[in-house]
Amino acid sequence: MSFTENIAKQFALIGNTNVAELRKNAFTAFEKLGIPSSRHEEWKYTNIKTKLNEQLSLTPVDSQVNTAVKNYISSLPPYSFRIIFLNGVFHSELSIVPQMKGLTVCSLKEAFTSNSSLVEKYFGKLVNYSEEHFAALNTAFVNDGAFVHIQKNVLIDEPIYIQYFFTASDVNAFAQTRSLVILEDGASIQLAEDFRNASNISVQYNHVSEVYVGKNASIDIVKLQLEVSNAIGVDTLEAQVERDGKFSAATITFSSPNTGTGKALIRNNVTARLIGENSHADLNGLYFGKETAHIDNHILVDHISPNCTSNQLYKGVLDDESTGVFNGKIFVKPDAQKTNAFQSSKALLLSNEASINSKPQLEIFADDVKCSHGAAVGQLDENALFYLRARGITKQEATQILTYAFAHEVIEHVHSKPIRQFLCDRLKDELKVNF
Amino acid sequence: MLSIKNLNVSIQGKQILRDFNLEIKAGEIHAIMGPNGTGKSTLASTLAGKEEYEVTSGEVIFNAKNLFDMSADERAREGIFLAFQYPVEIPGVSTTNFMKAAVNAKRKHQGLEPMDAKDFLKLMREKMALVEMNKEFSSRSVNEGFSGGEKKRNEIFQMAMLEPALCLLDETDSGLDIDALRIVANGVNKLRDANRSFLVITHYQRLLNYIVPDYVHVMYGGKIVKSGGKELALKLEEQGYDWIKEENSELV
Ligand SMILES: Nc1ncnc2c1ncn2[C@@H]1O[C@H](COP(=O)(O)OP(=O)(O)OP(=O)(O)O)[C@@H](O)[C@H]1O
Ligand SMILES: [Mg+2]
Repeated sequence: MSFTENIAKQFALIGNTNVAELRKNAFTAFEKLGIPSSRHEEWKYTNIKTKLNEQLSLTPVDSQVNTAVKNYISSLPPYSFRIIFLNGVFHSELSIVPQMKGLTVCSLKEAFTSNSSLVEKYFGKLVNYSEEHFAALNTAFVNDGAFVHIQKNVLIDEPIYIQYFFTASDVNAFAQTRSLVILEDGASIQLAEDFRNASNISVQYNHVSEVYVGKNASIDIVKLQLEVSNAIGVDTLEAQVERDGKFSAATITFSSPNTGTGKALIRNNVTARLIGENSHADLNGLYFGKETAHIDNHILVDHISPNCTSNQLYKGVLDDESTGVFNGKIFVKPDAQKTNAFQSSKALLLSNEASINSKPQLEIFADDVKCSHGAAVGQLDENALFYLRARGITKQEATQILTYAFAHEVIEHVHSKPIRQFLCDRLKDELKVNF
Repeated sequence: MLSIKNLNVSIQGKQILRDFNLEIKAGEIHAIMGPNGTGKSTLASTLAGKEEYEVTSGEVIFNAKNLFDMSADERAREGIFLAFQYPVEIPGVSTTNFMKAAVNAKRKHQGLEPMDAKDFLKLMREKMALVEMNKEFSSRSVNEGFSGGEKKRNEIFQMAMLEPALCLLDETDSGLDIDALRIVANGVNKLRDANRSFLVITHYQRLLNYIVPDYVHVMYGGKIVKSGGKELALKLEEQGYDWIKEENSELV
């Protein structure tokens, strides 16, 4: 059976009758698009086609909770909200969803019926599935996911922790996970999406988040990809920000040393569309590559309205033969006067075999704007290393401390204190820094 | 404590130290003066283990050990401390964390457990008070945004924390105002004892009024060309280096 026949057959089998029209359109789009090869401009340095298994299995599988899942859940800080998915399927018995006035947190499956008008209005409207291969595939096959809706002027100061576990025992499984987050005007929330391979084989997943930020609303979203040394993951985050709104996202990727077959390929697409005047986007990323891991961050900030600001800070630490890609686009549309857009991409190469492909892309169609970008690739500062060593700190520890300092700057941008602390501890663990 | 014999050092193929000799005994203070570019910092950095400096010949024995068998960090753990002429800024690493790593590296070397958190903070407070450093510096990144004088004080603070056997002070007095000079000198004097030695590089006799040396050496053309007591510094202050340069014109 050919690749397309296989996918079409599986599509026909899904029983999801919700958003059927949209799904059908997305499927038609995917049939045209297929999986991108490296001939595609946006996938030039990330040859995902050769990495994904040929016989993809897309139908959702409800799975047993294994010990890896249990252990990780018990290791998490005691977040008030904990929404747990296994292979894209919501598990209410593992989740904690307290009732709060003005806030709805539930599975997308439930929202399809309980909040059908909101879903109807917002679901699939931000992703560009006619051009984005993986967004199309996800939209066509999505069956469940996370749904978060906050009413006008409601402020939630506890982070909402969404955990996606992948526990496949079939190497062909390609899990489709999804979230839809809607902030009405003046609402504020912090959210984390944590992706984790809890299987003992290499997993494949494709996630899409759609985030609507209303007028004067603000969201701080953190993507955690902390256990991806054995995963192929595509993550697409699409946000739209209205007047005076604030959108802040941090993507944190750690590839720990491989234990199994070691297929680490992560592609993150983050898009922020500043559609309302005086809105703001803060897009940060930190990635650690080891062994043959490949980590690709594709960022787009679309300045559509005047007086908006945006900030991108991406930092990578690449060791062994790992490779990184940073593609940061800033579009400034003709109406977007008084735009202030800043971009910085820095990578530390800890080995001679590691490499990064960094490409800023500025397209500016307004005249009264301030845009700047900088890219730096290099090693740790020799003078700083010597200074630490001159105080008795070993070369290895000095390297770890300076790498920690380099990376920590990104984590400082995470607003949620418990998540920031969690990341800080994880970073210390990773670098074996003990202060 | 330190014995330097016929030391020759080059940087990028250019010879800087030439047959340099110096003996420092436990408890002594030696001052080194000399015109700009004669190799004073080169000497200090070579002793501290900076890798760009290539030792072409000669030997240095520090407390019965061959110095050149040890890496920079080993030397520091063995008790060599360089107060930098230009202290380095380390963004993202707080002074507290930096010192914790340094103190515990030394303790590990001595076979001791890491210092208890409470004792460590007490030690920090005590040593910061010694150089009258405000405690807010402990949470700031090392040297980042510090004024020139604050950086120099920070060097002496670190020295006090690490209690080295041999202190190399490279122009610690430059950039200090009159009060700070006194504070730093007092800090150094409090660390003086029978087992600790100092090599003080300076351009100004004034510092030596506060930190009174046992010996003053004049460096020129990569070697010591004159040695004497503290009165030699006074003579240099009055007469400058012309007479030294004339006496040693063959060196340059
Ligand atoms: N990294 C380097 N690369 C090239 N030349 C260097 C380097 N470091 C030092 N030198 C040269 O070595 C010579 C000695 O320098 P050094 O810093 O030791 O002098 P100094 O006696 O400490 O001078 P000052 O009183 O100005 O501090 C100078 O000519 C200097 O330019
Ligand atoms: Mg000097």
